[in-house]
Amino acid sequence: MNVIDKLAIYEDQISPGISACVGCNVELTLRTCMKVLGPDTIFAIPPGCMGGVGVVGWDKKSGAKTPVFFPLLDNVASMLAGIKLHYEHIGRHVNVVAFAGDGASVDAGMQCLSGAAERGDKLIYICYDNEGYMNTGYQRSGSTTKGAWTSTTPVINGKGGKKQNKKDFPMIMAMHDLPYMATMSPAYIPDMVRKLEKAMAVESGLVYLHVYNPCLTGWGCTSDESIEACRLSVETNFAPLYEVENGSFQMSVDVKNPKPVREFIRKFKKFRHLTDEDIDALQELTDRKIDRLRKLCTL
Amino acid sequence: MKFISDYIVPIGPEGLHIVQTGKWRTRKPVMDKEACVRCGMCLMYCPVNSVKKLADGSFEICYDYCKGCGICAHECKKGAIKMVPVKEEE
Repeated sequence: MNVIDKLAIYEDQISPGISACVGCNVELTLRTCMKVLGPDTIFAIPPGCMGGVGVVGWDKKSGAKTPVFFPLLDNVASMLAGIKLHYEHIGRHVNVVAFAGDGASVDAGMQCLSGAAERGDKLIYICYDNEGYMNTGYQRSGSTTKGAWTSTTPVINGKGGKKQNKKDFPMIMAMHDLPYMATMSPAYIPDMVRKLEKAMAVESGLVYLHVYNPCLTGWGCTSDESIEACRLSVETNFAPLYEVENGSFQMSVDVKNPKPVREFIRKFKKFRHLTDEDIDALQELTDRKIDRLRKLCTL
Repeated sequence: MKFISDYIVPIGPEGLHIVQTGKWRTRKPVMDKEACVRCGMCLMYCPVNSVKKLADGSFEICYDYCKGCGICAHECKKGAIKMVPVKEEE
């Protein structure tokens, strides 16, 4: 069965109308992930975009057809570890899934995620990385690219923006020696479905999946170009797609002739003030990272 | 608290929380079925899951929850989907 048929047949586990921004690619990611993971899934969404849009429910109503929790920003992995232990105890197989933003994974929730990874709790942890606390007003996070405008790193007279480089979080998680770690992009849905199916089959520990999702509202981009922006992030090697299985690295989409990073950067308002030198620095960083990744793939 | 539904799990007792996102639309996608080559890109990339596959293999846009983002029109390789402005009375 090809991917289109699968997506057409699988039941959507999320409420048909959720108040995500028009054209939001995180909504696409969430629906695709939950379609593939299926009804035997318990998931948790910490505070963030997908919690705020009503997936975790409102009043006495739920936003999903499967059980959904709304944990704190910093205890997602620990709480789910307990749930998974209970279901193992009663002998029922369920996918226990976290769908967290970069704030809840890269910044605030990092220590409990790292702990769960080290203990080998059998969770599927999906992080949608939109480079900031987009739901509360576009504040900077540890995942924001250097130079980017955010509401806490304002740009005044063409000067400002974030001063520090982005954390390479998928690499940090890969170094936990997980049974499976992968990066995904909503522009490459067949690749995403394949990785999710692989993640569901893992029995030996935590699976970490990192999705790079350019945010339309916070970054300044039109809704039509939502998927185009995701695709450019992969084609410029800015957010390469790779997977790590028991320590062996492999490129999932190997871009032979990458486009210049400038093409991706110039799409968004939040990078509008960047000078040519700033973009060259980002290009250099991207080249260095992809070289390192290619070397890891040959090991 | 009395639960209305029979679920044992903490799911909402009154069912699904649904926002009528179809009312947000300022333009709507219209598919030209003659030009469509049935590649399924619109179904794959629709964030609201509003494209349905019919039994004969063709695709149809369901307008109940479509937010009118324009991704389907942008991703369609054949240009078979056009975005049309929606009038207020619709």
